[in-house]
Amino acid sequence: MRTHIFVALLACVGTLAGPVPGDADSDAETKILAMQHMWGQAYVSKDPKALERILDDAFVNVDSDGILQTKAEVVAEVNTSSAVQFLTESMVVHLHGNAAIVTGVFEIKGVDRGKPYAQRERFVDTWLYKNGQWVSIAGLVTRVGQ
Amino acid sequence: MRTTLRTIKLLLVLVCATSLSGSAQEAGESDAAKAVRVLEGDRVKAQSRNDNHVLDLMFDNALVYIESGKLVTKGDYLLRVKSPKPQTPQIVPEAMTVRTLENTAIVVGTYRETDVKDGKSSSKRWRFVDTWVKKKGIWMLVAAAAVPLSK
Repeated sequence: MRTHIFVALLACVGTLAGPVPGDADSDAETKILAMQHMWGQAYVSKDPKALERILDDAFVNVDSDGILQTKAEVVAEVNTSSAVQFLTESMVVHLHGNAAIVTGVFEIKGVDRGKPYAQRERFVDTWLYKNGQWVSIAGLVTRVGQ
Repeated sequence: MRTTLRTIKLLLVLVCATSLSGSAQEAGESDAAKAVRVLEGDRVKAQSRNDNHVLDLMFDNALVYIESGKLVTKGDYLLRVKSPKPQTPQIVPEAMTVRTLENTAIVVGTYRETDVKDGKSSSKRWRFVDTWVKKKGIWMLVAAAAVPLSK
C-alpha cells in the first residue's frame, strides 16, 4: 500500500513539473529536490519503481569506486540495498535552462552481513527537463575527503 | 586593448570549436558531440599550460567542480590554476564518450594523472563525468567531477 502511494506521489511530481519557460526557478528547484529525496528513500524502501521514473533510460552513474553503472544496474542495486537510513544535506540546485546540476552530501546508514555501517558521500547529479518532466541523466558519487 | 583583442580571439576559437568538428572525432557522433569532444581536448591543453584565461571562457560562472570529495567553485579552481604548484601533475586523457541530449552534453571518460613528489613519480587513473550546456550558441562547462579508480 505504501509503495502504491509512493509511486502515485512520484507520478504527481513528474507530471506536475511544468515546462521550464515561465516556470519559476524556485518551483523547478523544489521539484528537483523532492525527486532527489525520493531517490534516496528508494534505497531505504527498496523501491526500484521509484528510480525507474526518476532516471532517464540513458542514465549513467559513476560510483565512489569509479565504476560506471547503467540505469538497469542502479535500479538493481536498490533491490539489494541494506540501507536503513538515507539523509541528504547541503543540496544546491543550479538551473541552466532545461538542465540542472544538483550537488550535495548524503549519509547512508545500514546493516551489511550483521555489521552496521555509515557512509558519507558527495554527489553531483545532472537533470534534464524532458518530455514534460525532470529526469536525471548522469550522476557521480565520491567519498567525502576521498 | 591587447587584452580585449586576445579575449575576442579566444572567444572566436571557442565558438569555432563548438561549431566545427575537430580532429579527434568518433565515428557516428553528432556534430554537437564532436564539438564537445574538441572542447574537452582544449580544456586539457589549457590546464596543462595553466591558461586560466581560456578556462575562464569555457567554464560557466556557476561551475561546480568535485575533486577528491571536495566541492570547488570556478573562482577557487581558476585561482589554483593561476598559482600552480612547482610541478603540475600531467594529465593524459584516455577513453571518452560524449552523449548529447538537446542542449546538454554528458561526457564520461577516464584519464591518467602522473605526479612527481620528492623525485618519485606516481600515477593514478580517474573516471570523470563532465556536463556541458549550450548557452547562447556556446558550450559551457557547468559541472565536472572525478573519482579515482580503485583498480
